[in-house]
Amino acid sequence: MSEKQEFWRWKEYRWHDESMDWKDADIISAGVDIGSVSSQAVIMADGKLYAFSNQRTGFDSPESANQAINWAMEGTGMTVKDLHYTVGTGYGRVNVPFADKALTEIACHARGGNFMYGPSVRTLLDMGGQDCKAIRCDERGKVEAFLMNDKCAAGTGRGMEVFADLLAIPIEEVGELSLSVEEEPEPVSSTCVVFAKSEASALLREGWPKNKVLAAYCSAMAHRVVTLLERIEVQKDFAITGGIAKNSGVVKRLEKELGLEALKTKYDSQIAGALGAALFGKALETKRRKN
Amino acid sequence: MANQAVLDQETFETFHNWRVNRAEYAKQWKKRTGGKIIGYFCTYVPEELLYAAGILPVRILGSHEVQDVTEPHIFAMFCPFCRDCLAQGLKGRFDYLDGITIAQSCLHIRQSFTSWQKHIPVDYNYYLPMPNHVQSPRAAPFLTKELEVFKASLEKWLGRKIDDAAIDDAIEVYNRNRDLLWKVYELRKGDAPPLTGEEAMEMVLSSQMVDKQDHNAALETLLTRLSKRESTRSTGTRLMILGSENDDIEFIRMVELCDATFVTDDHCTGSRYFWNNVKLNGNRLENIAERYIKRVPCPSKDWPQRTRVAHVLELAKTYGIQGAIVMQQKFCDPHEIDTPALIKALNGVGLKTLFLEFDVTVPIGQFKVRVEAFLEMLQEDDLF
Repeated sequence: MSEKQEFWRWKEYRWHDESMDWKDADIISAGVDIGSVSSQAVIMADGKLYAFSNQRTGFDSPESANQAINWAMEGTGMTVKDLHYTVGTGYGRVNVPFADKALTEIACHARGGNFMYGPSVRTLLDMGGQDCKAIRCDERGKVEAFLMNDKCAAGTGRGMEVFADLLAIPIEEVGELSLSVEEEPEPVSSTCVVFAKSEASALLREGWPKNKVLAAYCSAMAHRVVTLLERIEVQKDFAITGGIAKNSGVVKRLEKELGLEALKTKYDSQIAGALGAALFGKALETKRRKN
Repeated sequence: MANQAVLDQETFETFHNWRVNRAEYAKQWKKRTGGKIIGYFCTYVPEELLYAAGILPVRILGSHEVQDVTEPHIFAMFCPFCRDCLAQGLKGRFDYLDGITIAQSCLHIRQSFTSWQKHIPVDYNYYLPMPNHVQSPRAAPFLTKELEVFKASLEKWLGRKIDDAAIDDAIEVYNRNRDLLWKVYELRKGDAPPLTGEEAMEMVLSSQMVDKQDHNAALETLLTRLSKRESTRSTGTRLMILGSENDDIEFIRMVELCDATFVTDDHCTGSRYFWNNVKLNGNRLENIAERYIKRVPCPSKDWPQRTRVAHVLELAKTYGIQGAIVMQQKFCDPHEIDTPALIKALNGVGLKTLFLEFDVTVPIGQFKVRVEAFLEMLQEDDLF
């Protein structure tokens, strides 16, 4: 029996810095971001990135949190008891059993974005699994204003997964393939995942090649988030966090429409929320020790 | 997490019960007094006149339940509040009403009134052409004459005259109610307000549903109790909420469970309803008209000058707020026009704002993220 490929599946993985010994650190802080689609756990040793995991969220938030942290700690000899302070964030932020505090993903993405892209970031776009946030922040990564998309999943990662599956294109290849069109097509008229899928099916029946359909969807998604960004007034520098930041098809179109290039980073854009949470964890532990 | 539970529940029980069991109260009132009940759609209706006629004016509000009964009657792009109000009538939840009335404010709520008029039989209905251009010097004289016509219409329906003494009494009862509500609001200025925003909302909402004399008695008791009420509840961030009609208790409760307290508001279900009194000075109807012309305006009437902005800034200052939630019913055109000016003015004095659009049901989870993020923006400065 052959196994059916699930094209929407993105790579789940873990990492830790083997050159570091966490036992030397004074403060071990952790951030656990339980999103609607993906979950990440980040562990920091004295404010330096030590380990992280990135996986899909299951139906059980506490279980997803446990899995994420255990996976991040795998092979390090660390246990949950070694974490001095843990902050939960994301939709499941109140369901992280071992967390000391919950903070919103908005605050955490701004803080994490500041760490990943540097203090010059003033506008951050978090394109997550089922929502999208435009955040304006100061040089410390503190939120000054934010806007979220409305009550549907249009323009989000889940929509992109649906398209990857529909067109049988691995999710990691969607962006580049969408950029391979000779001429940019009109964007699909609806960014509603369900309606856009119907529209794409119709385009495929009309004989559109896959790259053109993807270009039309990436373009619509980019346009939708640009309208969100414009409402919050984009200020330089601009950066993107969340899974969609890895999709060059959306990012390049977004940059073109905004007339602004997004900053690049060596870090995985998906861990920004958990990273911010871990940084808050360090600050909270420092505060706790002072009191 | 702020602990609502540490505030004693019974202090506001009367108001809560009135709000929840409003139909039962109205039916008992009718039995007790033999009087008639009129439902009104907008707080520009001069309730004093109805009350002087021995009528109980009750506000028609929605139920925050998903419904489809209004689909044939009201456009989907009209505000959810006006549809929710009509739905209550179509579902027979106001079957105790003898009549309905509205004073002109916005077209959406007027559509609820006219649909009600057409499809739900009531003995009496009256449309009061309340001027929208309240800043015109002709507005008060115009309304005075309209009140004479309204009075005559009520007298004809009831088959008896509404005498001056009854109007005086009604004005007194209504002014008393407004004074008492205002006194309770004054207590919210303190460092540890003895009531939550949720409780304040219960209090004002119930005043729109019950006999003002009953409400006044309850408010007198409340003021005595509040002076002795000891709260160990954390006030947290001091917030203001402002915008269109808002009786969303569930939303207010959710916010106040995030270590925040609403210390004031500008809603027609809140301070806007009772902020101004009738000043008795000669012609009674003229005095009533003056009150409704000069009251804190609904944005449908706040032009060409935007007078409400200054009022909101004054509230923000005197109640010591740290941030404001600006809400509006989806598709509410008058508030949509006012919202940018209000946000700009609040931001201009260094107050951050969170804008939210309300529907019949509020997505609590999605709004909670926004509210918490907003509160984090106002707090947690020591974490950076």
